[in-house]
Amino acid sequence: MAFPIIPYIQEVTRLEWLRKFFFVKTAPLLTPPYFRGFPELTGKTCTHALFCMMACPAPGAIDVIRTPGGWQPRIHMGHCIRCGLCVEACPNGVLTSGRILESMFYDNTRLSFSFRIDVNTDLCMGCGNCAVACPVNKLIDAQMSHGGRASTDELLLKVSEGKCHVLHVEKCTGCKTCENHCPNEAIRVSRLLEAVHGQEEEV
Amino acid sequence: MKRTVDVSVPIGPIHPCFKEPARVKCETKGEFVISAEVELGYMKKGIERIMRGRPWQEVMFLAERVCGICSVIHNMVFIEALEQMSTIAVPERAALLRVIVNELDRMQSHILANFSYCYTIEHETLAMYLLDVREHVMDELERITGARVTCAYIVPGGVRFDLRSEDVLHLRANLAVIEEEVTRYMHMFEGGPLIALRSREIGVLSRGAALEAHAVGPTARASGMPETDRRIHHPTYKKLGFSPVSRTEGDNYARIMVRFQEVLESISIIRKCLDTLPEGPIRGGGIPGAGEIAYSGEAPRGELSYFIKTDAAGRVVDISIQTPSIMNIEACCHYMLKGVSSLADVPSTFVSADPCIACTER
Amino acid sequence: MSILQSVKNLVRSKSIHVAYVDVGSCNGCDIEVLACLSPRYDIEQYGIYVHNNPREADILLVIGAYTPGWEEKLHTLWEKIPDPKVAIAVGNCPISGCLFNRPHTLVDPPVSKHIPIAAEVPGCPPRPTEILAAVLSVAPLVFKDYEVAKR
Repeated sequence: MAFPIIPYIQEVTRLEWLRKFFFVKTAPLLTPPYFRGFPELTGKTCTHALFCMMACPAPGAIDVIRTPGGWQPRIHMGHCIRCGLCVEACPNGVLTSGRILESMFYDNTRLSFSFRIDVNTDLCMGCGNCAVACPVNKLIDAQMSHGGRASTDELLLKVSEGKCHVLHVEKCTGCKTCENHCPNEAIRVSRLLEAVHGQEEEV
Repeated sequence: MKRTVDVSVPIGPIHPCFKEPARVKCETKGEFVISAEVELGYMKKGIERIMRGRPWQEVMFLAERVCGICSVIHNMVFIEALEQMSTIAVPERAALLRVIVNELDRMQSHILANFSYCYTIEHETLAMYLLDVREHVMDELERITGARVTCAYIVPGGVRFDLRSEDVLHLRANLAVIEEEVTRYMHMFEGGPLIALRSREIGVLSRGAALEAHAVGPTARASGMPETDRRIHHPTYKKLGFSPVSRTEGDNYARIMVRFQEVLESISIIRKCLDTLPEGPIRGGGIPGAGEIAYSGEAPRGELSYFIKTDAAGRVVDISIQTPSIMNIEACCHYMLKGVSSLADVPSTFVSADPCIACTER
Repeated sequence: MSILQSVKNLVRSKSIHVAYVDVGSCNGCDIEVLACLSPRYDIEQYGIYVHNNPREADILLVIGAYTPGWEEKLHTLWEKIPDPKVAIAVGNCPISGCLFNRPHTLVDPPVSKHIPIAAEVPGCPPRPTEILAAVLSVAPLVFKDYEVAKR
């Protein structure tokens, strides 16, 4: 076993140690540009697609508010976990954080949303609350009666034969209004997030 | 049999040496520890209860926050379990990038564990050196993933960000620095006579006891059980070809040395990945569907298993996580601490098993 | 304010002891506090000494979302810290409960319900520089005009 002091003397007489001891100051406490900070606005127009809110894994971290200049996402510090999913999910590039937007451009990647509506026919009473409340239905048929019955088949949700039926799931915007208005928890909307490679196809 | 117990010494939950709250109750006879017991329950958050009924994009982040130190492996095991269940294919480049990030995470976790040990035995110089070299690893993690601790890098069907060619140069340069520094600190640790006094022949866990206690990870590998490394079953690691390290002493010294050797092993794995990194896409897409699976991977602390059941929409119906620390903590209390000749060695022995209370209790 | 008092304020702001307590976090903020000790960030160059002994602490860094195991212990710990004292909430967990504040959870955030919090550092986890900046901004205020305030 070596004499205990020798390794230590060797350590402090290394040229690099001496150089650091006399000349190195603490590194400037800078945040590197590649760090994903809190998302910031880029100034592009928000179209109120709300994909940022749907992708966000933290409760109460982001909401989209109406300002005099239009819709605008707002980040709540203390709730936001800086994961950057909202930046990736936004179809318009409203938010930016670190170099996520740049990476998405170079790597040609994006997050795509699709929606899936499951109606539990055992629980569904055919009350039509979901079909009446659905904002997509409202745009298509503003005259929909209170029972959720309508003449057109262009609707997203429609009640026929005492049960709710999903007709055009591709029209769903994932707002979950139907889920919130169901008295029996019979309808469930799933937001399916997919990390894909390639260009934006649908808007 | 009647036992002579002088005093029962509780250590914790707030103790200068413990980073996290746990209470170790030692029954002692003089300074000699007869038996020890660990009391947990300060960190129970109920993560598995929160996870139920949530889609992958939320469970992924909760899984990361089971343990903040080894967050990448939790992310990786959860996502790979979903991929196995729904047969989602991963591009070659993404699989290798996952391994790179995972090994970087393993390196910083091991260096942190060795830092804690050196800090506990009051060798602050070596501890600070190690903490400094850990910052280089954190730099690389941050450059690739964009975050230091909770990276959120791995998603079903690929990874989130590509490794740029200029970052590869940074990574290689930094790896050379880390390798040089870690080798130097390993020799300092190996040859330090005062370190040997505090570490060798203390907290011995024999191979038989390790088998009995179901020790996992570096704790088991320090007792001569290289087969506990789950990485040898992982397809990407199999292709890269690596051999797990192991030692036979089973004392505190061996556990720290195993971690040092694994850091060097990780560096060589990352170099192999960088050499064989193919061009191509980093995301294959794919939505998790219904299924049920048990899947495990090698966390820095040992074997980590996820049991997941999902419904048709990909929501997690039932989940159960088995983390490595619980086995190591039990092994530490019932085998290593028994017979420790001084109370001053209790915290250092406990820290040498690298207990992570957050992932033990979740 | 006398000159003596301003000298005291200056000197005391350069000698701060910090303790940290983890009341149920994921460890991520824990290791970021440890990273503050590292030679790169080096919290001790500002005269701030981090150790884990509440009885000689001035600043308490609270990490975590307040689990039921800490129900009485955190308050006891807070009382053991001698006056003057401040608590800083590090990370999202003590501020809002982060991801754990969901239905069926066991945690009970925010921590400010249980002990007074002087400053908050948002982020999950915050960078060491952010923790450092928070501690440095609170440090001059801990002992400021302590004798005057006591009277």
